[in-house]
Amino acid sequence: MSTTTVTPYRSAVHVGRDGFAQLLRAEWTKVRTVRGWSIGLVLAALLTVLFGVLAAVGGQISCGGGPDGSGSKSGAACRQVPPLGPDGEAVSDSFYFAHQTLAGDGSITARVTSLTGLYSTHGGIEVDAGTAGMTPGTQPWSKAGIIVKENTTQGSPYAAMMTTGSNGVRMQYNYTRDIAGEPGMASAASPQWLRLTRSGDTVTGYDSVDGVHWTEVGTAVLPGASSTVQVGMFAAAPNYTVTSQGFGTASAVGGPTLTTGTFDDVSLQGASAAGTWTGTAIGSDSPRGQLLAQAEQVQQSDGAFSLTGTGDIAPASGQGSGRPVEQSLVGAFAGLIAIIVVAAMFVTAEYRRGLIRLTLAASPRRGRVLAAKVVVIGVVAFVVGLVAAAVALPLGDHLAYNHGSYLLPVSSLTKARLIVGTAALFAVVAVLAVAVGTLLRRSAATVTLVIVAIVLPYILAVASVLPSGVAEWLTRLTPAAAFAIQQSLVAYPQVTANYTPANGYFPLSPWAGFAVLCAYAALALGLAVYQLRRRDA
Amino acid sequence: MSQAPSVEPRALTTSTRRADLDREPCAGRTRWRETLHAEWTKLRTLPGTIWLVLAITVLTLAVSAAASSSVTCPTVDCNQDPGKISLAGVELGQAVAAILAVLAVSGEYSTGMIRVTFTAMPRRTTVLAAKAALVSGFTLIAGSVAVLGSVLVARLVMPGHGFTAAHGYRLLSPTDGAVLRAAAGSVLYLALIALLSLGIAALVRDSAVAIGLVLGLLYLSPIIAGVVTDPHWHSRIERYAPMSAGLAIQATRNLAALPIGPWEGLGVLAAWAAAALLTGGAVLRLRDA
Amino acid sequence: MEATIEVSGLRKRFGPTTALDGMSFTVEPGQVTGFVGPNGAGKSTTMRVILGLDAADEGTALIGGRPYRDLRHPLSHVGSLLDAAALQPSRTARNHLLWLAHSQGLSARRVDEVVEQAGLGTVIRRKAGGYSLGMRQRLGIAAALLGDPPVLMLDEPFNGMDPEGIVWVRGFLRSLAAQGRAVLVSSHLMSELEDAADHLVVVGRGKVIADAGVADLIAAASGDRVTVRTTARTPAMTALANAGATVAVTGPDTLTVSGLAAQDVVTHLNSSAVPFSEISAHRATLEEAYMELTREAVEFRAATVGEGAEEVSR
Repeated sequence: MSTTTVTPYRSAVHVGRDGFAQLLRAEWTKVRTVRGWSIGLVLAALLTVLFGVLAAVGGQISCGGGPDGSGSKSGAACRQVPPLGPDGEAVSDSFYFAHQTLAGDGSITARVTSLTGLYSTHGGIEVDAGTAGMTPGTQPWSKAGIIVKENTTQGSPYAAMMTTGSNGVRMQYNYTRDIAGEPGMASAASPQWLRLTRSGDTVTGYDSVDGVHWTEVGTAVLPGASSTVQVGMFAAAPNYTVTSQGFGTASAVGGPTLTTGTFDDVSLQGASAAGTWTGTAIGSDSPRGQLLAQAEQVQQSDGAFSLTGTGDIAPASGQGSGRPVEQSLVGAFAGLIAIIVVAAMFVTAEYRRGLIRLTLAASPRRGRVLAAKVVVIGVVAFVVGLVAAAVALPLGDHLAYNHGSYLLPVSSLTKARLIVGTAALFAVVAVLAVAVGTLLRRSAATVTLVIVAIVLPYILAVASVLPSGVAEWLTRLTPAAAFAIQQSLVAYPQVTANYTPANGYFPLSPWAGFAVLCAYAALALGLAVYQLRRRDA
Repeated sequence: MSQAPSVEPRALTTSTRRADLDREPCAGRTRWRETLHAEWTKLRTLPGTIWLVLAITVLTLAVSAAASSSVTCPTVDCNQDPGKISLAGVELGQAVAAILAVLAVSGEYSTGMIRVTFTAMPRRTTVLAAKAALVSGFTLIAGSVAVLGSVLVARLVMPGHGFTAAHGYRLLSPTDGAVLRAAAGSVLYLALIALLSLGIAALVRDSAVAIGLVLGLLYLSPIIAGVVTDPHWHSRIERYAPMSAGLAIQATRNLAALPIGPWEGLGVLAAWAAAALLTGGAVLRLRDA
Repeated sequence: MEATIEVSGLRKRFGPTTALDGMSFTVEPGQVTGFVGPNGAGKSTTMRVILGLDAADEGTALIGGRPYRDLRHPLSHVGSLLDAAALQPSRTARNHLLWLAHSQGLSARRVDEVVEQAGLGTVIRRKAGGYSLGMRQRLGIAAALLGDPPVLMLDEPFNGMDPEGIVWVRGFLRSLAAQGRAVLVSSHLMSELEDAADHLVVVGRGKVIADAGVADLIAAASGDRVTVRTTARTPAMTALANAGATVAVTGPDTLTVSGLAAQDVVTHLNSSAVPFSEISAHRATLEEAYMELTREAVEFRAATVGEGAEEVSR
């Protein structure tokens, strides 16, 4: 018997390094070679843009017209542009102003001895009725005090010291800034002293309980202020609103308010032109202004002034003053559903026909297989989301503008955050779907669970179906919190407004909300890795 | 080598012959009964079915109870609709009803068993009709339990949250016409969602795609309606989208303010379901299995 | 009703691919008909068309003279097994048969009968998802038997079976045919069919290449050759050549003789007193006969195999 030496077989096929890059490439090949998935990904982008466009075109603004609808206009003719503040943001700027001209540096001091108010709970403004039927009482942010304002144009820079309904003394300037001073409410027994000192374009605010000991509250810079400014006393009161959200309906009960501040010991130092006070109702060309025309007045007796005003000097609250730019990204929901379907199938298809065994035979380190899947689907979804949002946002906003909407101005940094945030949202949701798919192995259950977890809380919270308290918790605790990343509006504590998810305000900051979703995805992913390692394939 | 089959086939006599094999007048009805029986056995013997039916009940009830106990009515006429609140869980329950329906079709396509089914029962539309009857039947039962429980919870909880006679609210009672309509309508709503899902599943076959389509169709409309400010388009969406129209059936107060009447709204959903089933049935007939 | 399958002129295209190109044949009762051909030749598509699952662009497929979709209780006209894996894994095997029985108005007792016939026994109450391929084939055969049909059509029933199972299926098919049923069995392993089929329908590129009895096919491929085993090779060659035969040496002690019947070979060797240990008619294998027939029709040669020829016809 002859002995032959057997040379062990050596493959001539070149094998690459056993690296993570190989896995990524394999998974990428899997994604792109299933035609249905490619279609799904393209569809995700198209739906995002399409619904954004539909929402923009459906946002047609109509205005004017009599009760019979005749003479009504629509589109660009109806666009209402709110006053813009020094930073380009939309602002409310209407109040009653008793003012003098101040040329150069100087200061104003006043003592506020009372702050009273009236409010209407009936909603509509009945001009003829005047103040009859209004209820006495101030609003939390009813305000009266002293102000230095560049001019009487709406939106011009200002700095003010004021006493408020229930927020104590505040220094506010340039609409968005707010600094707290002495607490408590002004009354005859405990009056509040306010002072503003102007030096160049810098205004410093002080308060005092006795007119002797002054405390600096804050310093404001009035950008581009000329040497001549208006200085004086003001009174303003934001509308009384109580919004109740019923199922399917949100209704605001509220109405106009009036605030009356009483001042004495008013002194003005510096180069004053006339020495007499001029009363001007800023922003009085509104229905509210007509109510004011009857009520608003300056009474002067024995060096004491009583000013009555309404309106607010504050950043505009989103709803009502214009269209938030992110409404053009509403299609992201449709896109997300498509992404969820593709991402879920990316995993569950492996289980359906046992492909997972081949996959795990080709790369037995299961955690790395899942990691490769997650990276590939995450990057793909990110790119899809980025392209979709980068098209949908400017296109939708452009169309909405042409249809008469006023777009609330936002910085380009914010726009970039909206677009990148939407892309990140796509990526993390896709990762979540892959993780849940690995856990459940069933596509129907996976798709439903992920859609329900992300979209349903949003609907319950935003589409006016739950009271706002519950809505806020939903948008804080569920994966739907992540939609905060699409919020361009800023909520200000010094503004009484309906800061609810239904109005586009999420309780968490954009990145914090997004982090909630990331936490869910990370948790699901951790469980998925654990289960994938532990379970038989 | 080719010796002795281990089991020698005996004379194959079918032990139980169907009684009415050739009685033609009854053939249609018998075929329907047999198809229904087969589909019933199929659904019954899948372990997932019972869990899904339970999930419809439990999830609907849980969300309804959570909603009922989270809403308060501090003032007179606080603009809340206790009927609608008490049935809020339907918004989640419908997703499970959709899974049940989608799996009844897609589960067979994904395994290839649909060919066995159509070999045994070549009348494909009859098969779809049987599935429709069973899936809607299961949903009706699960929905009835859930809705009854939801109303009961609301009845116990809501008076403590200010929904009192003093605030203008009567105790929720199934004998109240509007409440009865809302409750019965919600059960029908769930069944119609199941039928809509079944039709869509017959159309697209794949479970993930089908469920994505169904949930997109349902959940997107309120979101889109939220940003469409044009009153015509807004009300069109609310009147013709399956979820917002169908859920009009849950309103028990302030009916005049609804974009569409309760029964008309449910009718719109029924039209959606019918369209989906008819299209699905036609595609099922025409396409190769 | 006649126990036949009649297929005539079936044509079907899937996009650019022609799956069926005038497929015509008839399956007669009382015999096992093998349905063979290379991958992608159109076997599965033909079976799906016969069962009314796919619609042909042209042509008809009749069971006992009627289109499948017109059959009342189709499983009592034709029992079929297309894909043994086509079942929902979480259902038990018995419940799988039960819903099928219910669809035909049959009772659970009939299920127990076919379970016993298919040799499934106690495992029947386990989830079908846990079955091996061989067990699934038995389950599929049980399903095909449910309606006690005069016609049976099985696609690759030997797949995944162990040797004992293959022997069982062969015998089972023969006994079913012996009861007067028409049995159509597709396969691409000729050795499996060799002892089971009486008749062969060989297809390639969507049409029938040969439709003949197994014995005829083998005879045609065998020619009338005779194998002689002898230690006296040279005298034997001389004797037979003198008798007019053509003799070839095919081994150290074997000769293949053509041009003489086996009986004549014996006579001539005896008369020349040449010793021999064995004389047998040379028999070609079915494999050889098949390869001969399909040489032309093989669409997917080795180099191009791998793209899943079966998928093309789906």
